[in-house]
Amino acid sequence: MNWAEQIVKTLKDWDTSMIVYVPDISIDQVTSLIEADPYFRLVPATREEEAIGIAVGSYATGRNAAVFMQSSGFGNSVNALASLCIPSRTPIPMFINLRGGPGEFNIAQVAMGRAVIPIMDQLGLPHFVLEDDGKMDKLLDGAMKLCHANRQPLAICLTQMLHGGKIA
Amino acid sequence: MRRFEGTQLVLRLAGDSPIVSNLGPSSDELWHAGHRDRNFYTYGNMGLCSSIALGMAMATDEQIISLDGDGSLLMNMGTIASIGREKPKNLTVVVWDNEQWGQTGGQTSHTGTGTDLEQVAQSCGITNTKTVSDLEDLEAAVSEALASPDGPNFIVAKIEEAGYMSVAPVEPEFTLYRFRNTFVEPRQPGD
Repeated sequence: MNWAEQIVKTLKDWDTSMIVYVPDISIDQVTSLIEADPYFRLVPATREEEAIGIAVGSYATGRNAAVFMQSSGFGNSVNALASLCIPSRTPIPMFINLRGGPGEFNIAQVAMGRAVIPIMDQLGLPHFVLEDDGKMDKLLDGAMKLCHANRQPLAICLTQMLHGGKIA
Repeated sequence: MRRFEGTQLVLRLAGDSPIVSNLGPSSDELWHAGHRDRNFYTYGNMGLCSSIALGMAMATDEQIISLDGDGSLLMNMGTIASIGREKPKNLTVVVWDNEQWGQTGGQTSHTGTGTDLEQVAQSCGITNTKTVSDLEDLEAAVSEALASPDGPNFIVAKIEEAGYMSVAPVEPEFTLYRFRNTFVEPRQPGD
């Protein structure tokens, strides 16, 4: 099972079927599996902030949700996390393609990519950075458990070292 | 038409249906009009009211009502496109359009200078749209929307801004908790 399949399995293990995303070429390795799987509903949002709102609405009616985005999009969703998710306590896992690391070619991605973790820390939200798929099953399962125990969003950051995808 | 009167009307017609309300007076007035567990008040995240409602509408078969504002929707017009794309049959969006940002000093909003949110909705593929400016027309529009099996429905309700009622209790965690418990049976001892 590769890293993308592992994510899909974890979402199912944690009864998380509403997946809201803004497309990203590397995360597409996961979202294309999700799109093909009738267990899930995959919803494209026009902006990452909107994706958070949609995910919260789903959770509020009892259907667990997760979001997928690029780190640039995380920048677009900070106030949704701060003023909706945190006060309401919504366990939304965020799968983030983390730009700005080794191999990055685009200066426009560096500042925001590097700011994801510090911002999550400032918001008091947990985060994990995945650079290889060793122990990924345990780590993902543990992250979901933490997410629901804490009833707050958390970030699962997927790096180019992990997905080897084209950075775009 | 005043937003509070419109809110009372929608609440009466909604029955048991969940309602999501925009931050500020939209939520305050919904609380004053009739607090219930299925009112999902919002207190921040301006712009996301109808996105939250969209998420609800896709996750459940129940009728979902969004009481949004023009300033809020203008911040997140992309969600109108998402509603038009996903076409949830069970979603009714009511936009309280006072053509201003009321609470920040009454500055004229873009709907006061030519932006027509009903036309935006039409352009996003939402076909059941109306603009109303009195209670009678609002009642007809909302009744029709809730009775129809074929949403989404998008109703722009032109309102006159009035004085503000007292701020409702600001308790987002309880709001979500109460609301979600109307969908998910809480565990009981012995489970």
